Amino acid sequence: MTRAKLQSLSLLLVGVIAFGLPLVVRSPTYLHILVLLFLYAYLTTSWNLVGGFAGVLPLGHSAFVGIGAYTSTVLALQYGISPWLGMIVGGCLAVVVGVLIGLPTFKMRGAYFALATIAFAEGIRVMVENIEYLGPFKLNGPRGLQIPPLNTGLTNFMFAEKEPYYYIILVMLIAVLALTWFISRSKLGYYLSAGGEEPEAAMALGVNVARCKLIAMAMSSFLTALAGTFWAQFTLFIHPKSVMSLDVSFEIAFIALIGGRGSIAGPVLGAIILRPVSDLCRIYFGAKLPGLHLIIFGVLLILVMIFQPRGLQEPLTKLYHRFLDRMTTQPARAD
Amino acid sequence: MLYVLEDAINGILIGSIYGLTAMGLTVIFGVLKVINFAHGSLLMVGMYAAYWAVALTGIHPYLSLIVVAPVMYCFGYYLQDIIIKPIFKAEKDVREPITVIIVTTGVWYVLDNLSLLIFGPQYRTLQDNPLRGKMLEFGGMMLSVPKLWGFVTALATAAAIYWFFQKTRLGRAIRATSLDREAASLMGINQYRIYNVAFGIGTAIAGIAGVTLVPFYNVFPSVGVLFDIKGFIIVVLGGLGSIGGAILGGIIVGVIESVGPQFMAATWTEAIVYALFLVVLFVKPSGLFGVKYDW
Repeated sequence: MTRAKLQSLSLLLVGVIAFGLPLVVRSPTYLHILVLLFLYAYLTTSWNLVGGFAGVLPLGHSAFVGIGAYTSTVLALQYGISPWLGMIVGGCLAVVVGVLIGLPTFKMRGAYFALATIAFAEGIRVMVENIEYLGPFKLNGPRGLQIPPLNTGLTNFMFAEKEPYYYIILVMLIAVLALTWFISRSKLGYYLSAGGEEPEAAMALGVNVARCKLIAMAMSSFLTALAGTFWAQFTLFIHPKSVMSLDVSFEIAFIALIGGRGSIAGPVLGAIILRPVSDLCRIYFGAKLPGLHLIIFGVLLILVMIFQPRGLQEPLTKLYHRFLDRMTTQPARAD
Repeated sequence: MLYVLEDAINGILIGSIYGLTAMGLTVIFGVLKVINFAHGSLLMVGMYAAYWAVALTGIHPYLSLIVVAPVMYCFGYYLQDIIIKPIFKAEKDVREPITVIIVTTGVWYVLDNLSLLIFGPQYRTLQDNPLRGKMLEFGGMMLSVPKLWGFVTALATAAAIYWFFQKTRLGRAIRATSLDREAASLMGINQYRIYNVAFGIGTAIAGIAGVTLVPFYNVFPSVGVLFDIKGFIIVVLGGLGSIGGAILGGIIVGVIESVGPQFMAATWTEAIVYALFLVVLFVKPSGLFGVKYDW
């Protein structure tokens, strides 16, 4: 068996497992955990376009989640527009905001960029908390918006069971992973990582670093906003402290960093490691040991940064390649 | 008009305390070139230390400084020595290591939630301390006495730190390291020890800020988050690395927060502070009083 064949076979196996899981996992609680896992894997993969490839540390992606969630929800509640359409509108709105944030901030370095993105996201959250009506649109201030679960069905992006949500977010995740894979092998991907590691050298070679970063930011904010709509339709209740809270931004960054930012597998791996820890801790220890999962997050983050600064994907990728080597060389020897 | 003046003066008082909470951040940034995301948590630890020192012994809140400041200094010194130093060594040639920022975020999460586990989520206040709720009447205006104490402490701390950096041998070594760490190392300064000392000083200042807050503010595990973001805003307004700038930045934020509600809904003042922060960040990232860095 050749190496490429084996690789695609293992990828196929993962795909089959992912699509088959709801047939085995029947409990709504565990399906809920799985949906959130994929949601965060999706969010982190979108974040990774900027935070990983472009080599900066954005800590305000909750703003885009919020924009996506609010846009589609307001359009659906007030005008009866399908959330699928609202999703696209929200994405476009997020691109505008993302570019507006990116234009001035990409000139800054490291810490300043992180602070500026936090300030932007928090500023947007504070504004939404203070606005009851934005022109004709009812935002409802701090009380948020509730989506009455009346018309379930595909066109309304609303289902009584968890399974449809599971498949939707799974398809979204696969799509964004494919996009990331494509970008990482494109000119843009190389420009981005060059600009992230050595901006001066990249600029000297004629790479328009700022433009590449802006393109990455636009894509990242669009994709993140799509997840915001999914979030709203999944929980059917959004308010500024949930979809726009700083905790969301930080959790995304944590998942990326522990999994390994700048890699394709990293965000998914990080979500697989961190999300169940967070949910299971809350289910089993939530009453007695509040905040336990956040302690685990923090300790894990510190340890990973000290011992595996490129994230946990690095040792696992090595292991995977060693496994591939062994599987492909042994039959050759037998011949 | 008198109301506005009264609010402005109270804003200056609370603002100087904000400045004190952010001063440690600016000291640490000035030397390590790292934004310490755990600074609010260090403040929280300082507040708990002050709270327990006063609650268990019943001394005057400000007497607890004798215990809190040295304890916090040691805490910061070893926190940097054990957790942050290994990463600095690994990223020796990176001028502004993002990894260190991330590790301080991890420290923030661990400290906040450890204190949630240990002390529980309840709000604690020092009920019967001699400063609580005291007011001073001054020309028809009511001024809060504990905030006045905080104001004096903030100015005294700023002066002391300034004197330490300018006049002492260790202070000069710290400044040399902050200007050029390679050159300082060549002069025989152990840069990692300087980092430890700077982090210790920053943490001790957070402890002092904790002492000034405890007489009139609630203590709870996530109290640091309130001051964390505010602290970032203040140090960028004042100029990262500038000690006087931290106090002035704090006063700006304090005055906006206390005068603003006279003219608009109180929650909008927060948005104004963010807007001001972003304007300064874009127009003059070195801050209003800051030293110019090549960002």
